[in-house]
Amino acid sequence: MSEATRIHVSQISLKVNGRVRKVDVAHHWTLLRALRDALDLTGAKVGCDRGECGACTVAVDGHPVYACQMLALQARDKEVVTVEGLADEDALHPVQQAFLEEDSGQCGYCTPGFVMSAYALLRQNPSPTEGEIRDALAGNLCRCNAYGRIIEGVKAAADAMREQAG
Amino acid sequence: MAGLKVVGRSLIRRGLEEKLTGEARYTADLKLPGMLHARVLPSPHPHADVVSIDASVAEAMPGVHAVFTPFDEEASGLFAGDMRVLDTRVRFVGDEVAAVAAETEEEAERAIESLRVEYRVLPFETDAERALRPEATAIHPGGNLWGGEPLLLKRGDVASGLREADIVVEGSYVVASHSAAPLEPRAAIAQWDDDQLTVWKTSRGVHTDRAHLSTALGMSEEKIRVLGPHFGAGYGAKDESRCAILAAILARKAGRPVRLEYSRYQEFVAGRVRHGAVIEMKVALKRSGEITAIENKTLMNTGAYLASGAGELRRAAQGGLYLYRCPNVRYEGRLAYTNTPVAGSYRGLGAPQGHFALEALIDQAAETIGIDPLEFRLKNHVGLEGQPGRRTSPIDQVVDTQPVEGGIPFSSNELRECIVRGAEAIRWGKPVEDAGEPHMKRGVGMATCIYRGGPGWESTARVILNRDGRVELHTGIVDVGQGAHTVLAQMASEAFGCGYEDMRVVSGDSDVAPHSPITAGSTATFSAGLAVKKASENLRDGLLELASTYLERPKEGLDVRGGFVVSNLEGKRLASVSEVAGGMPGAFIESEASVVPGSADYIVNSFAAHFAQVEVDTLTGSVSVVRYVAAHDSGRIINPKAAVNQVEGGVSQTLGLTLSEELVTDAASGVTLNGSFLEHKCPTIGQYPEIQTIFVETEDPIAPFGAKALGEPPSVPVAAAVINAVYDAVGVRFMEIPLTPDKVLEGLALALRQAQDER
Repeated sequence: MSEATRIHVSQISLKVNGRVRKVDVAHHWTLLRALRDALDLTGAKVGCDRGECGACTVAVDGHPVYACQMLALQARDKEVVTVEGLADEDALHPVQQAFLEEDSGQCGYCTPGFVMSAYALLRQNPSPTEGEIRDALAGNLCRCNAYGRIIEGVKAAADAMREQAG
Repeated sequence: MAGLKVVGRSLIRRGLEEKLTGEARYTADLKLPGMLHARVLPSPHPHADVVSIDASVAEAMPGVHAVFTPFDEEASGLFAGDMRVLDTRVRFVGDEVAAVAAETEEEAERAIESLRVEYRVLPFETDAERALRPEATAIHPGGNLWGGEPLLLKRGDVASGLREADIVVEGSYVVASHSAAPLEPRAAIAQWDDDQLTVWKTSRGVHTDRAHLSTALGMSEEKIRVLGPHFGAGYGAKDESRCAILAAILARKAGRPVRLEYSRYQEFVAGRVRHGAVIEMKVALKRSGEITAIENKTLMNTGAYLASGAGELRRAAQGGLYLYRCPNVRYEGRLAYTNTPVAGSYRGLGAPQGHFALEALIDQAAETIGIDPLEFRLKNHVGLEGQPGRRTSPIDQVVDTQPVEGGIPFSSNELRECIVRGAEAIRWGKPVEDAGEPHMKRGVGMATCIYRGGPGWESTARVILNRDGRVELHTGIVDVGQGAHTVLAQMASEAFGCGYEDMRVVSGDSDVAPHSPITAGSTATFSAGLAVKKASENLRDGLLELASTYLERPKEGLDVRGGFVVSNLEGKRLASVSEVAGGMPGAFIESEASVVPGSADYIVNSFAAHFAQVEVDTLTGSVSVVRYVAAHDSGRIINPKAAVNQVEGGVSQTLGLTLSEELVTDAASGVTLNGSFLEHKCPTIGQYPEIQTIFVETEDPIAPFGAKALGEPPSVPVAAAVINAVYDAVGVRFMEIPLTPDKVLEGLALALRQAQDER
């Protein structure tokens, strides 16, 4: 293989869902590919692989990020949370619980991305208006167009989280 | 139906919890040991012969295990009517030319890039009307008019209906082709074990997919097992493509499992789009408002291959043939091949196009004779008694869900109530609140819908009671995201007599599931539901036999409710289902039922009336839907919350067809220009309007628990409701969708010029 097409691989530490994992990643790999192929965390989905649909949304240092638009190498020393990391041993995260009760999904392919965008929103803004909810989720597509139920799910999650916080 | 315990309740959707935690595995999430990755070479030409392919470089590359070209023996298999596994003629830009499998995705991509293909380029057609010119290059051996002649359907005599009329209104309507764009691109994994093939794929029907693979690969269905993991939706469009077939052939060549995933661009271009259409419609009427004739000439573009074109062409007719009481109707439908992406099924299958033209023209007809469009529809919509005329089909034959003949009543029809209650909710006839700025114009419009009510293909279900008390529903019906497993589990629990949580659904495996059709045509609730209900009732009967012996009581006084065997007389619980099951001699009892759904006496149809309030920005041309009311007759609603989700989703999704989505193929090059989410403009949460859903619930006498179809009807009247509202707002009748801002501005400018000329 010529130098031009040689794939460079490095071992990096990734902190994902609270655990530090040593991962061999090719330098051109996106965070999405590292999560899915190296760590078998397939909750983040490949919808477009070019930053247009939001199905791969994860939280990086608390911010919602398209995992297909960040190289795995760029995620070194950062705190990555994926949809698999939200629930406790015995309870769903309030966003997940609210989405379950409000029927905030249909086929479910966009669902992890919406959950992560909602999770990131409610960390920053515990009492969002409907307009703020729409703005925060405008980077996620749902082709089933379950948008009405998703908005209700985020509202219910915000209520539940405020109640929990006292 | 009194005393229902499980049916009619908004129970938690099946499978949603694992979708929310990321545990749900979709096809592309699965990995097999030793699995290779596949890539496909797309055609750069809209129409060409593949003269030769030099794959020597690819074959010598490290990591490359299989190269498959149209010159291989296995390539010649024909499937889905007119498509070969791989063809030496390519018919659109993006048509699959060759495929490879390699250790890594990168190696597969490099191998594809190394293929040297010699093409002989042919003339091409991108427009349906032009493709039908005698001098146009034939895309398929039979020419570009599918079937060689138009599809003709008629009742009565349109010529005499036109003669009787005082007024004839007519219009030519254009609907653009657009992509269903399911968020999950097509994917398949194939594995061989000697001559046994196992395929995991994005599937909406494992048995239909098995049959497709069997045809394409020329092997017996018994040697093929198809598994459908979680499914990232398709809205009908995820069928009839080469994805799984290519994976299977590459896997056989390589002797290793192979996964093929379409890229987003491939999903747009080599997936399936909605048929673009040009619809010329005439409505003839008397001054009194009586409709005397409806004539409809429709031309649809099926793209490079037929796929579901035949069904699409037929369903585009139904609104004009049946929504309004009319003795004289005629439909002439033509389906043209072009060198553009393949059109296939997409939610509503032709009905959204047909209803757009019909319901826009009906508004114009009402205006022409000076009647309010709501009044006009109340006067003319088809009633419970059906269409005038005499039944021509044999009286013992199951009535088609899309009849042409008159003289057959509906099993139920609450269209009138949908119109009345929807109008009330949108405050029809009341002044619309001013937008506050002079360039923002508001208006209200409506449209109605008739659609197949659920009878589809023969369906089978199996229900099993295990000795440990577990109850399982085995169904071949795939949950495509709409909630079929939720609804079927509710029906099974109700009919058997256990709690919803106690009913496990086993599905998605062609080796295990009883034979089922695809989830299509809004048939799952009705057709599979009938089989599920019958099998569950029979299983309850079997349990009562066991209970009678176990409890030493006559069977007649016993019933099953909420997971317990109860005494009808005393109304008390005698034993749990598990306890009785524990005493059974064998490991399980099961009941299987097959049903040919439908009725010989009635048409089973669903109905809807939609109302839109829009706001048009006359400076930018942008149209936004402010409020929307969707009133539906889908019989009894099994799960209200999931049903509301279905309606809201269908309306919002179809606002894409109405206002923003178009898959554009450049006429000069044949290249599809906007195969990406950024440029195809699917609706986002930002545009989502306030939608109010009304269910006019009725218990259909033919349907399981009275439940009729709901999947597609929400998509059918949307475009006309919005376009009619735009007319109410700005006084221009737009006849082409999507109604993008450029068309709005052009229409407003033209109207202004015409008004000035008249002065």
